[in-house]
Amino acid sequence: MNTKNRNLVIGGLAIAIVIAILAPFLASSNPDGLESAAESLGVPESEAVFESPLPDYAIPGMEDNPWGGVIALIFGTILVVLVMLGLAYIISKKGNGQE
Amino acid sequence: MHIPDGFIPLWQCAIYWFIAIVAIGFALRWARENLDEKNIPLLAVLAAGIFAIQAMNVPIPWGTSGHMVGAALIAIIFFSPWAAVLVLSIVLILQGLIFGDGGMTALGANIVNMGLIGGFVGFYAYKVLKGVGRIPAIFLAGWASIFLAAIACAIEMAWAGTFPLAEGIVFMGLYHAVIGVIEGVISVVVILGIDNVRPDLLADWVSSSKKEALQ
Repeated sequence: MNTKNRNLVIGGLAIAIVIAILAPFLASSNPDGLESAAESLGVPESEAVFESPLPDYAIPGMEDNPWGGVIALIFGTILVVLVMLGLAYIISKKGNGQE
Repeated sequence: MHIPDGFIPLWQCAIYWFIAIVAIGFALRWARENLDEKNIPLLAVLAAGIFAIQAMNVPIPWGTSGHMVGAALIAIIFFSPWAAVLVLSIVLILQGLIFGDGGMTALGANIVNMGLIGGFVGFYAYKVLKGVGRIPAIFLAGWASIFLAAIACAIEMAWAGTFPLAEGIVFMGLYHAVIGVIEGVISVVVILGIDNVRPDLLADWVSSSKKEALQ
């Protein structure tokens, strides 16, 4: 990865992490469009079919602490970047150096 | 707009899963043919940015909130709706598996709505509207992508027997017409921001370094 691209990744990731830090403090906890429509139409809440490790972007046991959300979101942000980079390099011919 | 488990009967979930898997196949083929050392870093940081910004719910009227989806943005920057399918699939899979955002049974439907429909609407809306100007075209493509994805979601909810059709379309359409403004504005800001620092990474049809985008 050349310097220009490294700067792009660092800069872009920095912006994403700032959003991840702010979101637990600033994001509205109101129901989203779909949940709100479901409430208005009297659809009961449903159970997830399996227990995810960090449900609702919170660390179990510290659901009320926004910093738990910050950690969960930063973890997710870095995970997304790594999965995307890894997958892209594996599947792209050019990323593998094959033309 | 992440559909939870229990809103769609399993046999219908299987249909959306099937469509999503076929779409991911096309997205992977696009990736194999179009990704290289130059554009992979941008794709990866945009995926991360979309994941983060999807946690930033903005309050809208009626005690509701919403967040951007990002499919139109990706489709425009990379000149392909399949790029949007790829990015949104990764984001939605990780959100469902790790953060319980969107049900795993409904993952196929979520990929169809936000990745496939969002990506295609964003791509073709920009294509059709580019003549009116780059910035209004990006804004409207962003707006239309989430609005029509929400309408599709409402129709799926009606088919599932979860929402009545007309009321579902009214509520989902109304909320996402407002959320679409957020989608449109952020899409414009992100593309102009990239255009400012790395216009070479934007597809020709949206990059200020190319006459094609500014005609």
